[in-house]
Amino acid sequence: MLRRSFVSAALVFAVFFLAAVFVLGAAAAYAENSVVEVRFENHHFSPASLQVPAGQALKIKVVNASSETIEFESFRLNREKAIQPGEAIAVRLPALSPGSYDFYDDFHQDVPQGSIVAK
Amino acid sequence: MTGRRTSLLALGFCALAAQLITVNRMNPAASSESPLAAPEQIETLLTRACYDCHSNRTRWPWYSRIAPASWLVARDVALGRKELNFSEWGSYYPQTQTRKLQWMGRMLRERSMPPWSYRLMHPAARLGAEDRAMLERWVESGISVSAQHISD
Repeated sequence: MLRRSFVSAALVFAVFFLAAVFVLGAAAAYAENSVVEVRFENHHFSPASLQVPAGQALKIKVVNASSETIEFESFRLNREKAIQPGEAIAVRLPALSPGSYDFYDDFHQDVPQGSIVAK
Repeated sequence: MTGRRTSLLALGFCALAAQLITVNRMNPAASSESPLAAPEQIETLLTRACYDCHSNRTRWPWYSRIAPASWLVARDVALGRKELNFSEWGSYYPQTQTRKLQWMGRMLRERSMPPWSYRLMHPAARLGAEDRAMLERWVESGISVSAQHISD
Protein backbone atom coordinates (compact mmCIF):
# COMPACT_ATOMS: atom_id res chain seq x y z
CA MET A 1 0.00 0.00 0.00
CA LEU A 2 2.75 2.35 1.04
CA ARG A 3 4.80 1.34 -2.00
CA ARG A 4 1.88 2.07 -4.35
CA SER A 5 1.41 5.54 -2.83
CA PHE A 6 5.09 6.24 -3.21
CA VAL A 7 5.05 5.18 -6.88
CA SER A 8 1.96 7.35 -7.55
CA ALA A 9 3.58 10.36 -5.89
CA ALA A 10 6.76 9.80 -7.86
CA LEU A 11 4.77 9.59 -11.11
CA VAL A 12 2.85 12.78 -10.38
CA PHE A 13 6.10 14.53 -9.50
CA ALA A 14 7.73 13.29 -12.73
CA VAL A 15 4.81 14.51 -14.85
CA PHE A 16 4.89 17.95 -13.21
CA PHE A 17 8.66 18.11 -13.54
CA LEU A 18 8.55 17.25 -17.26
CA ALA A 19 5.75 19.76 -17.84
CA ALA A 20 7.75 22.48 -16.05
CA VAL A 21 10.85 21.65 -18.10
CA PHE A 22 8.79 21.78 -21.29
CA VAL A 23 7.16 25.12 -20.42
CA LEU A 24 10.41 26.72 -19.32
CA GLY A 25 12.23 25.37 -22.35
CA ALA A 26 9.56 26.67 -24.70
CA ALA A 27 9.59 30.06 -22.97
CA ALA A 28 13.37 30.23 -23.22
CA ALA A 29 13.30 29.23 -26.87
CA TYR A 30 10.63 31.87 -27.54
CA ALA A 31 12.66 34.49 -25.71
CA GLU A 32 15.78 33.53 -27.62
CA ASN A 33 13.85 34.04 -30.86
CA SER A 34 13.11 37.67 -29.94
CA VAL A 35 16.53 39.01 -30.79
CA VAL A 36 17.07 42.48 -32.15
CA GLU A 37 20.41 43.81 -33.27
CA VAL A 38 21.93 47.25 -32.83
CA ARG A 39 25.22 48.22 -34.43
CA PHE A 40 27.51 50.98 -33.27
CA GLU A 41 29.38 52.37 -36.24
CA ASN A 42 30.55 55.80 -37.43
CA HIS A 43 29.81 57.27 -34.02
CA HIS A 44 26.14 56.36 -33.88
CA PHE A 45 23.78 53.49 -33.13
CA SER A 46 21.92 51.94 -35.98
CA PRO A 47 18.98 51.66 -35.95
CA ALA A 48 18.55 54.59 -33.58
CA SER A 49 15.05 53.49 -32.71
CA LEU A 50 13.99 49.92 -32.10
CA GLN A 51 10.37 48.82 -32.14
CA VAL A 52 9.80 45.83 -29.91
CA PRO A 53 6.65 44.10 -28.70
CA ALA A 54 5.62 45.04 -25.17
CA GLY A 55 5.11 42.30 -22.62
CA GLN A 56 7.67 39.98 -24.13
CA ALA A 57 11.20 39.22 -23.00
CA LEU A 58 13.84 39.95 -25.58
CA LYS A 59 17.53 39.94 -26.25
CA ILE A 60 19.39 42.82 -27.81
CA LYS A 61 22.60 42.03 -29.59
CA VAL A 62 24.83 45.10 -29.55
CA VAL A 63 27.68 45.01 -32.04
CA ASN A 64 30.53 47.46 -31.67
CA ALA A 65 31.79 47.84 -35.24
CA SER A 66 33.89 50.89 -34.36
CA SER A 67 37.52 51.10 -33.32
CA GLU A 68 36.77 52.45 -29.82
CA THR A 69 35.45 50.87 -26.66
CA ILE A 70 31.87 51.91 -26.02
CA GLU A 71 29.42 51.38 -23.20
CA PHE A 72 25.84 50.49 -23.99
CA GLU A 73 23.89 52.06 -21.19
CA SER A 74 20.31 52.72 -20.22
CA PHE A 75 19.31 54.12 -16.85
CA ARG A 76 15.66 53.24 -17.27
CA LEU A 77 16.48 49.66 -18.23
CA ASN A 78 19.17 49.50 -15.53
CA ARG A 79 21.79 48.15 -17.93
CA GLU A 80 25.40 49.13 -18.59
CA LYS A 81 27.88 47.03 -20.49
CA ALA A 82 31.24 47.97 -21.98
CA ILE A 83 31.96 46.56 -25.43
CA GLN A 84 35.43 46.28 -26.89
CA PRO A 85 36.03 47.21 -30.55
CA GLY A 86 34.87 44.49 -32.92
CA GLU A 87 32.99 42.65 -30.19
CA ALA A 88 29.32 42.02 -29.54
CA ILE A 89 27.34 41.54 -26.36
CA ALA A 90 23.86 40.31 -25.57
CA VAL A 91 21.60 42.39 -23.35
CA ARG A 92 18.72 40.37 -21.98
CA LEU A 93 15.62 42.32 -21.09
CA PRO A 94 12.50 41.25 -19.25
CA ALA A 95 9.04 41.88 -20.68
CA LEU A 96 8.79 45.65 -21.11
CA SER A 97 5.78 47.80 -20.34
CA PRO A 98 4.67 49.95 -23.28
CA GLY A 99 6.81 53.06 -23.53
CA SER A 100 10.10 54.45 -24.71
CA TYR A 101 13.41 53.46 -23.14
CA ASP A 102 16.45 55.48 -24.13
CA PHE A 103 19.94 54.06 -24.45
CA TYR A 104 23.27 55.73 -25.13
CA ASP A 105 27.03 55.29 -25.23
CA ASP A 106 28.20 56.36 -21.81
CA PHE A 107 31.82 56.68 -22.92
CA HIS A 108 31.04 59.23 -25.66
CA GLN A 109 28.46 61.78 -24.61
CA ASP A 110 28.26 63.33 -28.09
CA VAL A 111 26.88 60.11 -29.57
CA PRO A 112 23.17 60.57 -30.31
CA GLN A 113 21.05 58.49 -27.99
CA GLY A 114 18.85 55.71 -29.24
CA SER A 115 15.53 54.42 -28.01
CA ILE A 116 13.70 51.16 -27.61
CA VAL A 117 10.00 51.64 -28.16
CA ALA A 118 7.85 48.89 -26.68
CA LYS A 119 4.33 48.72 -28.17
CA MET B 1 60.57 17.02 -3.04
CA THR B 2 62.50 18.03 -6.16
CA GLY B 3 59.21 18.44 -8.00
CA ARG B 4 57.85 20.74 -5.32
CA ARG B 5 61.05 22.80 -5.34
CA THR B 6 60.88 23.10 -9.13
CA SER B 7 57.25 24.23 -8.93
CA LEU B 8 58.09 26.85 -6.30
CA LEU B 9 61.01 28.08 -8.37
CA ALA B 10 58.80 28.31 -11.48
CA LEU B 11 56.15 30.18 -9.48
CA GLY B 12 58.76 32.59 -8.11
CA PHE B 13 60.14 33.16 -11.58
CA CYS B 14 56.68 33.87 -12.98
CA ALA B 15 55.96 36.29 -10.10
CA LEU B 16 59.22 38.13 -10.80
CA ALA B 17 58.62 38.16 -14.56
CA ALA B 18 55.14 39.61 -13.96
CA GLN B 19 56.75 42.65 -12.31
CA LEU B 20 58.25 43.54 -15.70
CA ILE B 21 54.77 44.29 -17.05
CA THR B 22 54.24 47.71 -15.52
CA VAL B 23 51.15 49.89 -15.61
CA ASN B 24 50.73 53.62 -15.97
CA ARG B 25 50.01 55.08 -12.52
CA MET B 26 50.29 58.74 -13.51
CA ASN B 27 47.38 61.02 -12.71
CA PRO B 28 46.40 63.34 -15.58
CA ALA B 29 47.60 66.93 -15.26
CA ALA B 30 45.35 69.17 -13.17
CA SER B 31 45.50 71.96 -15.77
CA SER B 32 42.99 70.19 -18.02
CA GLU B 33 40.45 69.72 -15.24
CA SER B 34 37.01 71.23 -14.81
CA PRO B 35 36.17 69.65 -11.47
CA LEU B 36 32.95 69.31 -9.58
CA ALA B 37 32.10 72.16 -7.25
CA ALA B 38 30.40 70.54 -4.28
CA PRO B 39 29.86 71.61 -0.66
CA GLU B 40 32.83 70.85 1.57
CA GLN B 41 31.17 67.95 3.41
CA ILE B 42 30.18 66.29 0.14
CA GLU B 43 33.63 66.88 -1.29
CA THR B 44 35.15 65.19 1.78
CA LEU B 45 32.87 62.16 1.39
CA LEU B 46 33.52 61.87 -2.33
CA THR B 47 37.28 62.16 -1.80
CA ARG B 48 37.18 59.44 0.84
CA ALA B 49 34.92 56.98 -0.97
CA CYS B 50 34.99 57.73 -4.69
CA TYR B 51 37.89 59.82 -5.94
CA ASP B 52 40.48 57.04 -6.13
CA CYS B 53 38.66 55.56 -9.12
CA HIS B 54 36.38 58.40 -10.21
CA SER B 55 38.74 61.35 -10.47
CA ASN B 56 42.20 62.30 -11.69
CA ARG B 57 43.28 62.54 -8.05
CA THR B 58 43.88 58.84 -7.49
CA ARG B 59 45.88 57.93 -4.39
CA TRP B 60 47.66 54.88 -5.71
CA PRO B 61 47.95 52.29 -2.94
CA TRP B 62 51.15 50.37 -2.19
CA TYR B 63 49.82 47.19 -3.82
CA SER B 64 49.34 49.04 -7.09
CA ARG B 65 53.12 48.62 -7.51
CA ILE B 66 52.97 44.83 -7.36
CA ALA B 67 51.72 42.69 -10.25
CA PRO B 68 49.17 41.20 -10.70
CA ALA B 69 47.34 43.52 -8.24
CA SER B 70 48.73 46.51 -10.17
CA TRP B 71 47.00 45.35 -13.36
CA LEU B 72 43.64 45.06 -11.63
CA VAL B 73 43.96 48.43 -9.90
CA ALA B 74 45.00 50.17 -13.14
CA ARG B 75 42.09 48.57 -14.99
CA ASP B 76 39.59 49.58 -12.30
CA VAL B 77 40.85 53.18 -12.24
CA ALA B 78 40.77 53.46 -16.05
CA LEU B 79 37.24 52.08 -16.19
CA GLY B 80 36.11 54.15 -13.21
CA ARG B 81 37.32 57.38 -14.82
CA LYS B 82 35.56 56.47 -18.05
CA GLU B 83 32.30 55.82 -16.22
CA LEU B 84 32.43 58.94 -14.10
CA ASN B 85 35.24 61.42 -13.62
CA PHE B 86 34.56 64.12 -11.04
CA SER B 87 37.69 65.97 -12.20
CA GLU B 88 36.02 66.47 -15.59
CA TRP B 89 32.53 67.11 -14.28
CA GLY B 90 32.33 70.52 -15.90
CA SER B 91 32.94 69.05 -19.34
CA TYR B 92 29.83 66.86 -19.14
CA TYR B 93 26.69 68.00 -20.94
CA PRO B 94 23.83 68.86 -18.52
CA GLN B 95 22.00 65.73 -19.70
CA THR B 96 25.09 63.61 -19.03
CA GLN B 97 25.42 65.15 -15.56
CA THR B 98 21.81 64.23 -14.84
CA ARG B 99 22.39 60.64 -15.93
CA LYS B 100 25.55 60.36 -13.83
CA LEU B 101 23.70 61.71 -10.80
CA GLN B 102 20.82 59.28 -11.39
CA TRP B 103 23.25 56.36 -11.49
CA MET B 104 24.97 57.66 -8.37
CA GLY B 105 21.64 57.73 -6.56
CA ARG B 106 20.88 54.19 -7.66
CA MET B 107 24.33 52.92 -6.64
CA LEU B 108 23.94 54.54 -3.23
CA ARG B 109 20.49 53.03 -2.69
CA GLU B 110 21.70 49.60 -3.80
CA ARG B 111 24.87 50.01 -1.75
CA SER B 112 26.90 48.79 -4.68
CA MET B 113 29.35 51.68 -4.46
CA PRO B 114 32.06 51.79 -3.30
CA PRO B 115 32.48 48.10 -4.26
CA TRP B 116 33.17 45.58 -1.49
CA SER B 117 36.59 44.71 -2.91
CA TYR B 118 37.63 48.37 -2.58
CA ARG B 119 36.12 48.70 0.91
CA LEU B 120 38.05 45.62 1.96
CA MET B 121 41.36 47.31 1.23
CA HIS B 122 40.17 50.83 2.18
CA PRO B 123 38.07 50.61 5.34
CA ALA B 124 37.93 54.41 5.54
CA ALA B 125 35.94 54.45 2.29
CA ARG B 126 32.94 52.81 3.95
CA LEU B 127 29.88 55.02 3.98
CA GLY B 128 27.69 55.07 7.05
CA ALA B 129 23.93 55.57 6.94
CA GLU B 130 24.32 59.30 7.61
CA ASP B 131 26.95 59.64 4.86
CA ARG B 132 24.70 57.87 2.38
CA ALA B 133 21.70 59.99 3.35
CA MET B 134 23.74 63.17 2.92
CA LEU B 135 25.03 62.07 -0.48
CA GLU B 136 21.55 61.00 -1.59
CA ARG B 137 20.13 64.42 -0.67
CA TRP B 138 22.93 66.11 -2.60
CA VAL B 139 22.33 63.84 -5.61
CA GLU B 140 18.59 64.55 -5.58
CA SER B 141 19.11 68.31 -5.44
CA GLY B 142 21.71 68.01 -8.22
CA ILE B 143 19.22 66.15 -10.43
CA SER B 144 16.60 68.87 -9.86
CA VAL B 145 19.06 71.66 -10.71
CA SER B 146 20.31 69.78 -13.76
CA ALA B 147 16.78 69.09 -14.99
CA GLN B 148 15.97 72.79 -14.64
CA HIS B 149 19.06 73.69 -16.72
CA ILE B 150 17.93 71.29 -19.45
CA SER B 151 14.41 72.68 -19.56
CA ASP B 152 15.61 76.34 -19.68
